[in-house]
Amino acid sequence: MNPPSGGTSAAAPFSRLLEMLRPDLLRFAFWLARDRSVAEDVVQETLIRAWKSKDELKDPAAARPWLFTIVRREHARLYERKRLPTVDVEEVEALGDPALASDGDAGLTDLRRAIVQLPDEYREPLVMQVLGGFTTAEIAAQLGLTQPAVLTRLFRARNRLRVIYGLAPAEDAE
Amino acid sequence: MSDAPLDCRHVRLAVGADPQHLSPEVEAHLSGCAECRRFRDETLELDGRLRAALELPLPEFRRRAPPVRRYALAASVVVALLVAGGAWLFRAPSALAGELVAHVQGEADSWNAQAQMPAESIAGVLGKAGVEFDSRMPVVYAAPCPFRGHRIAHLVVQTVHGPLTVMLLPHVSVTKREKFSEDGLNGILLPAGAGSVAVLARGGNVDAADADAMVSAVHWAK
Repeated sequence: MNPPSGGTSAAAPFSRLLEMLRPDLLRFAFWLARDRSVAEDVVQETLIRAWKSKDELKDPAAARPWLFTIVRREHARLYERKRLPTVDVEEVEALGDPALASDGDAGLTDLRRAIVQLPDEYREPLVMQVLGGFTTAEIAAQLGLTQPAVLTRLFRARNRLRVIYGLAPAEDAE
Repeated sequence: MSDAPLDCRHVRLAVGADPQHLSPEVEAHLSGCAECRRFRDETLELDGRLRAALELPLPEFRRRAPPVRRYALAASVVVALLVAGGAWLFRAPSALAGELVAHVQGEADSWNAQAQMPAESIAGVLGKAGVEFDSRMPVVYAAPCPFRGHRIAHLVVQTVHGPLTVMLLPHVSVTKREKFSEDGLNGILLPAGAGSVAVLARGGNVDAADADAMVSAVHWAK
């Protein structure tokens, strides 16, 4: 069967775009889920959903935030659908995950473990901001929060990490 | 402490929340307050480390046999395949080859797998992809991968000629064999019933008999 005209040129770059961004999507999903198996599942669902919705992406430059948003939704959907239990910080398997270890840089390993142990409400906006490149307004919109609430959460997330990093914490907002 | 409108506490809240995007008011305060500048510099340094921390080493992250969590199926179990057709199914092989190569390059660690995977792990992957694969040759890597909007089986099979990546593509129809070569990978795309099978080798060419054996091993879900 002959390929329909126009189908070839658009889809192949999109496929490559997905492959190019997949590593970052996996990282993002891991920091949300703190479980690499869940992260793999989330990213697979994300890529399948993205493919089916590819016409929605008008500007390839917007692919990264678009895909990160799908990852977030798929992550939330997975927990809704499967009713996965909320993981207690003390029981986070990711703490022993070799991916958190950094050869020759114990400080980085400690920082990763500290991020894993941040409460969801602090870790999620922080990862969205630093890894995802979202603005605080975009984070607020996605999380259904006010922008001041997001700023407070981001401040508190960094404040906790300051202590792990050996710095004095700043005075809190409250 | 400076005479700027914002006090140190508010400036540090702003810096701690979003150190990369500070308002002119915060910047004005920083220009006159050494303590807050130090806080800003510390936070920026922390952010650099934070960015490095979040950039997990992906080879380590991917060096794991895919989990079998949804299904524990025997090798012969077939899962009903529910797919929607689309014009993209019939795209030219040259574009398809590029997508296959890009996907395989994204899982470069798969080539390094040595140990034969447990039958139940392989069955889980095949079950997710809705396909059977009855190869006499050992499967050392199997992952259910998203490809063109569907979950497909991505395998690495050890042959006497070296490892071959085998991608089972029930949703992609081709009418004839198509050889391709890109980014150091050589492959053959072969018709297999209603779908197709892509066989890729790293370095050398794919042995034709090995490729035929892979096609013979495939049975799509009815």
